[in-house]
Amino acid sequence: MNPGKQIVVLVALLVVVGISLVWYKHEVLGFPLLASESQTLWKIEARLKFDALGGPVSARINLPETVPGRSAVFTQQTAPGYLFDVVSNGNNNIAEWRHPDSPPGTQVLYLRSEIFFNDLQPLTERPLPVPVIPTLMGLEAQGFAEARQTLAAMDLEGAALVETILREINSPQSAWLGLLLRDRSRRADKVQLAADLLAFQGIVARVIRGVELIDRQRERSGRFMLKVWQDDTWQLYDAKSAAALPWTKFIEFQQGEQALFEVFGGEKSELSFSVVSEERAAFVNAVENARTHHSWLVDFSIYSLPVAQQSTFKLLLLIPLGALVVVILRNLVGIRTSGTFMPILIALSFLQTSLLPGLMLFLLVVGTGLLVRSYMSRLNLLLVPRIAAVLVFVIILYAAIGIAAHKLGFSWGAKVTFFPMIILSWTIERMSILWDEDGAREVFIQGGGSLLTASIAYLLMNSQTVSDAIFLYPEMLLIVLAIIIAIGSYSGYRLSDLRRFEPMERY
Amino acid sequence: MLGFAPPWRLRRMGVVGMNRRNVRYIAPNNPRSLYPLVDNKLKTKLLCDEHGIAVPRLLGVCHFQHHLRELEDFLQPHTSFVIKPAKGSGGKGIVVISSRQGRNFQKPSGEQITIQAIKQHTSNTLSGLYSLGGKPDVALIEEMVQFTDDFADFSFEGVPDVRVIVYRGYPVMAMMRLSTHASDGKANLHQGAVGVGIDLASGRALHGVQHGHPITRHPDTDRQLSDLVVPHWDELLILAARSYEVTGLGYIGADIVIDRVRGPLLLELNARPGLAIQMANGKGLEPRIKLAEQRANYYHDNQQESAPDRVRYSTRSIAIL
Repeated sequence: MNPGKQIVVLVALLVVVGISLVWYKHEVLGFPLLASESQTLWKIEARLKFDALGGPVSARINLPETVPGRSAVFTQQTAPGYLFDVVSNGNNNIAEWRHPDSPPGTQVLYLRSEIFFNDLQPLTERPLPVPVIPTLMGLEAQGFAEARQTLAAMDLEGAALVETILREINSPQSAWLGLLLRDRSRRADKVQLAADLLAFQGIVARVIRGVELIDRQRERSGRFMLKVWQDDTWQLYDAKSAAALPWTKFIEFQQGEQALFEVFGGEKSELSFSVVSEERAAFVNAVENARTHHSWLVDFSIYSLPVAQQSTFKLLLLIPLGALVVVILRNLVGIRTSGTFMPILIALSFLQTSLLPGLMLFLLVVGTGLLVRSYMSRLNLLLVPRIAAVLVFVIILYAAIGIAAHKLGFSWGAKVTFFPMIILSWTIERMSILWDEDGAREVFIQGGGSLLTASIAYLLMNSQTVSDAIFLYPEMLLIVLAIIIAIGSYSGYRLSDLRRFEPMERY
Repeated sequence: MLGFAPPWRLRRMGVVGMNRRNVRYIAPNNPRSLYPLVDNKLKTKLLCDEHGIAVPRLLGVCHFQHHLRELEDFLQPHTSFVIKPAKGSGGKGIVVISSRQGRNFQKPSGEQITIQAIKQHTSNTLSGLYSLGGKPDVALIEEMVQFTDDFADFSFEGVPDVRVIVYRGYPVMAMMRLSTHASDGKANLHQGAVGVGIDLASGRALHGVQHGHPITRHPDTDRQLSDLVVPHWDELLILAARSYEVTGLGYIGADIVIDRVRGPLLLELNARPGLAIQMANGKGLEPRIKLAEQRANYYHDNQQESAPDRVRYSTRSIAIL
């Protein structure tokens, strides 16, 4: 394969791989497009308290089912002396603590989980759920028959029907449920009554129990909800307020007849929930989520590094963008710079000093350096000692600028140290030779070209959107690489060619 | 149009831009390993001698600082000579001595310098003051070219030379570089020397250009540039064409001067020749290179054409494009 075709294949390959990795991270791992996107993270703490009788103890909490679009990023438990395990029981998980020989007294076990929603799909079920009609006897059957008649008279449908039944159970307005409610003092039984009534109307409804997601709730017991099969999805109704609730406001811990929690070897057990919400950068959640699921793309990425090293890489990842700017400006525009990649290093310094002070400091150091260097050229020094001498002078100049700026009260003066001194010494040396050989004009052309390139690279690298994007999707470097390789084989005109050969048109 | 030429029009003229030169002509034709042959003038000279190519005669080479002690004795028999760095570029560090005044040496401009100054200059040359990247260098001492009078009024204070672009052995374009006051006697176009396009077929001047703009008269001597005719034209082109066999470089700029007695002499070779030659000729390089490429490909499969045959092809077929 000739080099030209290889380049086409390589570039296409890099672009395809880069784009598909970005797509995969966005679509599958749920990475946001912008780092500034935020998500609500719910921190839920379940607190199980009981008095141990002494001897072996085991305690269980039913865990929420996994639901697509809802991710638990972090699960932690604290229970000193207990063995903890998550056991799977058919289609749901149970957190289980065991203690072979617990001393008698109050025990408190905690389970903490952090949950966020990225793209919750409507909850469906296959095969379609069918209503379970309770078998009734005697008085019960009579009560239900009355209730059904009343409901039929109301002629309600859908949400209105559910809400009416729930309202009636909570605070009876008339006597039509009186008989049925009398025998049901427990909350769970009352809500189950609503489900049963709906079943007679041909509507599937289930009692569930869990945590309502409201910020800063403390010590709440599990809340009863009704999930109702409507329009081919499960709709959520708050049993207490008798209103529909979105699924993003509730975590279901218990369903139907299952126990929400069980304690063996203890008494006076109670389970309470606390909820705190936190706004967090969406990508932090995505990264943690991907890590809990051991996605190789994240496991072997810079996110697996400690935070301090991550920020170093955050800066390093920007350098290819600077290189891209240099490539574009040199090979497509035709701007001449002094030193190929010197503008990138200057741009990195600008990131620390910001643009205007950076430009001023650069001109100050290089300008003064050139004066000193022009004197040195009269001494006919050898090359390495000459550059070393310029380097020493540059350091002295740094110190002088730092001190002078401090005395004058300019805080940015000290930032001069962010300029790479070896590079500046070489720049001074090169510009000085250029001045001798090709004249001042060329020095200004190349110096100006360097500063223009550095400024554009700085503006790109300094953009929050750009630096976040490259940090979120380092795979985009493959696309940058593809562009650079493509430009590397570009044999068309540069903008400068068009200017330079413009007089040829007149022949 | 706002000082920019529309790219399609340049393309129609076959003008070659920097990217095209680097990607299409230099990269595939000039293997990196051959660069030292032309970047080091000593190597070029020895190679040319080996192949019987006419160059200014080498008197001696100063390799080490301790050679400087012998320099005065060595220069004793020579009244005119040139000292130049082997790895210099753009005419830097070249000292021309045309005669002697007692113990002192005299430059063509009349300025006199002492043997100490020459030694100092040579020492600087050895330590890399004039070489690319400041690398240690050697100093060549060669005979001074006795320039022909044909160009007397066409050049100011300096040495006019002919630059021929040779593509895979076929001369494709030529120009004469005339030094000016602005270029400080140097034949370097971006220092302000005048470039004059030369018709490949006849050796006659076509267009003049200075600082990228067309001119018709020499800015210092006011001589009509179109009167310029390069003597020994065929011989000169054959010399240029042979640099291909000597170096193996497929895209090369040969710089040639004309000695009053010896005729065309190869001064130096350049593996990255500039593109200003197109402005001086008012023509693009691309169609000419394309033709040379076709011809070279054809003969590559059979027996390669000899240098005079290639020049004949260039002057007849390539020159008219």
